Amino acid sequence: MKHTLQQIFRSGKFVTGFSIFTALLLIVIFYPLIVRDDPLANIGQGTFFPPGVYVNVYDSINAPPYILNLSDAAAKRVASKLGNQERKDLKEWLVAAGIPEDEIDITDTAKLLDLWEKNYDPTKNIPGMTLARQRYFQRLNASLQGILSVEGITIANPNPQTGALEAVKTVQQADYVNISQVPNVRVLALGTDNFGRDVLTELVKATGVSLQIGIVAGIIATLIGLILGLLGGYVGGTVDDIIMFITNLFIVIPSFVLLILISFSIGQEKRGAFTIAVVIGFTSWVWTARAVRSQVISLRVRDHVNLSKLSGHSIPHIIINDILPYIASYVVMALILQISSGILAEAGLSILGLGPRTTEVPTLGLMMNWAMIYQAQILGKWWAYLPVLVTIALITFSMNLMNTGLDQVFNPALRE
Amino acid sequence: MGKIMLEVNELTTKYITRFGENVYAVDHVSLKVEEGKSLGIAGESGCGKSTLALSLMGYYFAPLHYTSGEIIIDGQKITGMDPDDIRRKILGKEIAYIPQAAMNALNPTLKIIHFIEDVIHAHDPKATKKEIYELARERFAILGLPEEVLQKYPVELSGGMKQRTVIATSVILSPKVLIADEPSSALDVTSQKMVIKMLKDLMEKGFVKAMIFITHELPLLYNVTDDIMVMYAGQIVEKGTAREVVFDPLHPYSKGLMGAIIVPESGVRNVKLTAIPGTPPNLKNPPSGCRFADRCKYVQPECKVRSIDFRDVGNGRAYRCIFSEEQLRKAYQNG
Amino acid sequence: MSKGYFRYFLNKLVWLFITAVFAFVLNFILPRLMPGDPVAAITARIAQGMSNSTGMKEVYEQYATLFGTNRPLLEQFFLYVRNVLQGNFGSSFSQYPRPVADILKSSILWTIGLQFPAIIVGWLIGNTLGALAAYLKKGFDKVLMPISIFISNFPAFGMAIILMVIFAVDLKWFPTSGGYGFDMIPNFSWDFIVSVIHHYQLPFWSIVLIAIGGQAIGMRSMSIYELNADYVKYSRFLGIKDSTIVRYVFRNAMLPQITGLALSIGTMVGGALVAEIVFSYPGLGYTLLNGVMGQDYPLISAVTLIITIMVLLANFLIEIAYGLIDPRIKAAQSE
Repeated sequence: MKHTLQQIFRSGKFVTGFSIFTALLLIVIFYPLIVRDDPLANIGQGTFFPPGVYVNVYDSINAPPYILNLSDAAAKRVASKLGNQERKDLKEWLVAAGIPEDEIDITDTAKLLDLWEKNYDPTKNIPGMTLARQRYFQRLNASLQGILSVEGITIANPNPQTGALEAVKTVQQADYVNISQVPNVRVLALGTDNFGRDVLTELVKATGVSLQIGIVAGIIATLIGLILGLLGGYVGGTVDDIIMFITNLFIVIPSFVLLILISFSIGQEKRGAFTIAVVIGFTSWVWTARAVRSQVISLRVRDHVNLSKLSGHSIPHIIINDILPYIASYVVMALILQISSGILAEAGLSILGLGPRTTEVPTLGLMMNWAMIYQAQILGKWWAYLPVLVTIALITFSMNLMNTGLDQVFNPALRE
Repeated sequence: MGKIMLEVNELTTKYITRFGENVYAVDHVSLKVEEGKSLGIAGESGCGKSTLALSLMGYYFAPLHYTSGEIIIDGQKITGMDPDDIRRKILGKEIAYIPQAAMNALNPTLKIIHFIEDVIHAHDPKATKKEIYELARERFAILGLPEEVLQKYPVELSGGMKQRTVIATSVILSPKVLIADEPSSALDVTSQKMVIKMLKDLMEKGFVKAMIFITHELPLLYNVTDDIMVMYAGQIVEKGTAREVVFDPLHPYSKGLMGAIIVPESGVRNVKLTAIPGTPPNLKNPPSGCRFADRCKYVQPECKVRSIDFRDVGNGRAYRCIFSEEQLRKAYQNG
Repeated sequence: MSKGYFRYFLNKLVWLFITAVFAFVLNFILPRLMPGDPVAAITARIAQGMSNSTGMKEVYEQYATLFGTNRPLLEQFFLYVRNVLQGNFGSSFSQYPRPVADILKSSILWTIGLQFPAIIVGWLIGNTLGALAAYLKKGFDKVLMPISIFISNFPAFGMAIILMVIFAVDLKWFPTSGGYGFDMIPNFSWDFIVSVIHHYQLPFWSIVLIAIGGQAIGMRSMSIYELNADYVKYSRFLGIKDSTIVRYVFRNAMLPQITGLALSIGTMVGGALVAEIVFSYPGLGYTLLNGVMGQDYPLISAVTLIITIMVLLANFLIEIAYGLIDPRIKAAQSE
């Protein structure tokens, strides 16, 4: 046993897969201990906030200001509003409005803005320009207001008696706050999803749930497969014929069709994550049963099994002592594969809208489903779907690597 | 003395393992086979005899590599030739091979006749299908194989029939030298006899001019071959005529091999069954002295230190041991 | 047709029939195994979605006749089978009063047109790459295999999304969704065909890529296994050309891959259906999604049945073709 483990951990593939998987597992276990938020809380008002550090504006204004004279501050401020694309857009409008092209220099910010301010007229109808494009220019124009101003911004409060605004303080352009003195800063490393949930927290929770689904499905499938395979292979005769018949039937009937039918029949309200896992387990035992059976058949005639039979041991005794140890490595590999295909099956079902009901827990499949319903992939909101895909890929890839590693240890023929 | 058909001088070949280690499975082996003669090579599994069979073909592919020495077939030196020339001009035509596991030696999805076509086309691209069919039919008939076999797939043939088909296919181009690697070991007794008879037929009918027969059953060779060599750990440890090696073995290992098998043969019948204890040495780091020393009943301190010469005692007899002939014979008599 | 093959064919035909009956039974019985009265549940669902009470009543009555809900279960089953065989799947709930058969007619063609070529192309490319990896080893293998393992573990919808984001959203080379331009009506004009081809690329390649990964891995191990087979060594020693041997090996390695395809086609189609959904391709996958969204029981039931029958048929055809190619099948059957 110890020797086998040593050999397994000498396989580069297994170790790589094992490390990735362990890392994922550690994150799933420890992240919730550090970030104790409800993974399904809708914190964002609006959809798909991009990843980043969110600093509370109110708290920033009230935090003690520090004056830093940084020479490139103004340029940065302009650049954030007026990038290369925006400059080109301005030029496009100006040219369309009849300004000679050689008079426009998009590298000279001050001149360009001057020209823009003088000529831009939101009501002007430029032939061939779509309404959406016109709106874009109106928005761009608004964002450029006061971009070259060097004045600060005055914060004012309404006077409770008169209702007139009274200046409270002025925020200068060179004012800075120390982020540690702002009480409310929220890191949204992966932004928010379509419901305004923190994607990272949700993803960690979903990974955990999906792993649980995979493990439950995998254990059920492996157990069914193991029992049927042992029965068919060892008992043989009619029992074997019946088991083989059923196995062959379920091999050609696509398991996802069964999944769809069963999931739909159960109905949305009764579909919890656990139910889905059980359904997946009950529809994916076929390959294990087949493979275990053929292994048992080849073991059945080996000397040590015959010896055990002659010594009058009972069938359960023979199966536990003389058969199981020899197929244990195979069963472990089958279990790993079942877990990863269980996770994929859940994802596929959820995309079809037949996954676990959506109110309790997130799963990787559900996150994918939500991202796709809200068209995150078309809107370019990569943080809503890409991390989910990467997680799924990492799980299945790591498990497959472990399996390939095990296979090389246990099947020397595959060693190169 | 007849014409020498196969001459091998100091041939050394090695395996390169996937960890890059060199394993010299054939270590400075020399042998000669005259026209019309057959040579048997005996040894336990793992002694290098199958590797020797592969090495004698002069055509090497990973993990087996040629190191040094020469192979001369009917006066033509084939070591050092371009591999593609060897493939086209030597393999199958000058020297042919019968593999150990004939069960799987034939491509399962190819009819026998199509395989024979491929063999002949590899050497003579111009041969027509009709010519090939005629040749195969004739050859199969002479060797007592039914013509229908040609139109069958290997799965449709019985084990013995498959082995005989393999033999007939191997000699389809009438090679000068035939190397048979345990051709009868996996067969039932009747099939074994048929295969041995067929091999003898090949020699008598002149389809091959010289033969090397490799087996782990040393006594079997007595019936089949003229001379015998005994191989141990990549080296030849004894050679002589079949009669000499079987009835008067010199090297303790040959002696042990004779005892390892019960054979219903007069003269050896009364010998006690004494399997040789231990296993052959690991050829990754062969012992510096006698390679058999660890398993030898008669081992002396100096056996493990100095390398032992292959001592020639005349009349083609030679062995690799520090003791003299008389000392060995005396020791064996005392048991 | 030889006797052996005829028996094989008959065997497979009977098996196709049995599995088809089983598919019907499953499709019929699974929804009925669930607690509660299925028709009541169905009508409850209709009631949610439909404000038109006459329409609702009509659906209910039509449904009750279609299912024969007041009759014994066995009778209901035969009624169901008869209806289905006549192409009568009832009316869709979500697109009432359009018959389900009418909705499916077009989507079946889209799905077959997309998946059949994609799976075949993926299978061919995957097997070629796997064979090359086994034969060339070294660099090619080192690069190709990890990529293949990664891709084959990637869900089909993931591949679809990634291709879509890169080639449709970012590069804008291809459209993001649909089977043809949204402003077009299917016809045989040149513009329409171009648009179909244009929309075809991304769904097609995402299915192909997924298929390649799995097939390449399988073919590689099969080829390595075959390259080490005894017949390869024997053929080499008979001087057969390397190119001929490579042909043997790949043919023999390919054969198990064909049965592998037959066994895995169900899973592949499943993955591909989800890829269809990602691209809103007007095939069965998208229809299925619509059925689920609209709680459209007759539509879902019909789609799953048709997918199953399609997979069973594909399986049958592959096995039939396999029997023609592999001589071992005929030999085994005529014993």
